[in-house]
Amino acid sequence: MITHQAIKKQVRTFVFDNFIFDEETTLGDDDSFLENRIIDSTGVLELIMFVEETFGIEVADEEVIPENLDSLERLAEYVMRKVYLVAAA
Amino acid sequence: MRICTKCVLPETFPGVRFDDAGVCNVCRQAPTPQRLLEQRAKLRAEFEAAVEEVRGNNSYDCLMSWSGGKDSTYTLALLTQRYGLRVLAFTFDNGFVAEATFGNMRRTAEALDVDHVVVKPAFGLLRRIFVASLDDGLYPKRALGRASSICTSCMSLAKSSALRLAIEKEIPFVAFGWSPGQIPPTSAFYRTTPAMVRATMGASFRVLEEIAGDAVRPYFPEEVHFATGRFPYFASPLAFLEYDEEIILAEITKLGWRRPLDTDPNSSNCLLNTLGNAVHKEHHNLHPYAAELAALVREGRLTREEGLARLREPESAAVLRLVTERLGLAS
Repeated sequence: MITHQAIKKQVRTFVFDNFIFDEETTLGDDDSFLENRIIDSTGVLELIMFVEETFGIEVADEEVIPENLDSLERLAEYVMRKVYLVAAA
Repeated sequence: MRICTKCVLPETFPGVRFDDAGVCNVCRQAPTPQRLLEQRAKLRAEFEAAVEEVRGNNSYDCLMSWSGGKDSTYTLALLTQRYGLRVLAFTFDNGFVAEATFGNMRRTAEALDVDHVVVKPAFGLLRRIFVASLDDGLYPKRALGRASSICTSCMSLAKSSALRLAIEKEIPFVAFGWSPGQIPPTSAFYRTTPAMVRATMGASFRVLEEIAGDAVRPYFPEEVHFATGRFPYFASPLAFLEYDEEIILAEITKLGWRRPLDTDPNSSNCLLNTLGNAVHKEHHNLHPYAAELAALVREGRLTREEGLARLREPESAAVLRLVTERLGLAS
């Protein structure tokens, strides 16, 4: 089963490759993507597609909330919960 | 300047990398034609199912965010004629809509027999926002790869105004005229939710509020709107239906649409766009349409030479002068 750290690492790589572009920029695990102007509304939808395709989960409309998606830590936590739900089903 | 040997993305595009053959990472990671077809077919099926679900339940089935340009005019025609929806056409007048565009909108709205509302914010407010948007630090770097900062500010206002009106009038769909290269498939059809809008439009709101204070509030959903819980679908049908410029022009010409002669070649409705493009090129050495044209080249809808030629088209000096004067920027 994939680990929390592994999820976070993959998401971090995706965010740097697709939204930040600059290796020198620092992004803390709890830093908000929206508040720090890293990701906008179009970016949120791209991020959702990435986690759906990468981790084999489906993000429901009502789950598209900052508490689930708006930092590396929150996203890794959310994906972990979903991955375990899929595995348990 | 180095440009992808397959599409038209230049080395100044945020995050672009080239391989030994000079092909960019966006081309290398692009979905295959088969995958694109599947994505679009899925979006079309979801869109058409939702259309059937909402048709006839409210006074209007759909609010069309209508700039008066060719793509949004064609989308309006599709929604009314092909899908038989009761559409409220909505135009956000940014103060720089070309005169010829208003004539186009009057003729085509009458030909399609649709209701049409125009929201025109105070020009002083718009001027403050557009002048402040000459600063590129307002938006994420990724957004700078899609549009100029001026266009991003304007689109924020237009999109949130459309959403606000749709919520007030209980309209279950908001449609946009984005073409295939302008938005990724992920953004072409989805249901908005209060939490999602609060987070994403909230971020846009704070950018504009920093510039203009409370004056921007009437153009964004407020607590009373969030409290309704009735949030519409956002759809950009041209991103998953057929898209052919020749067919589009032929169809809308039948409705009375004429190509404006008072805009520059990059826009069929907006003059402000010209300044946005010029400033973006000056600041970033990057045409804000590069990503869109690259996507069209990648899909074979445009040849690479055609794409490069479009990127080389200079801005109209006359339009640039007019816009800078109206914004009080002329020296």
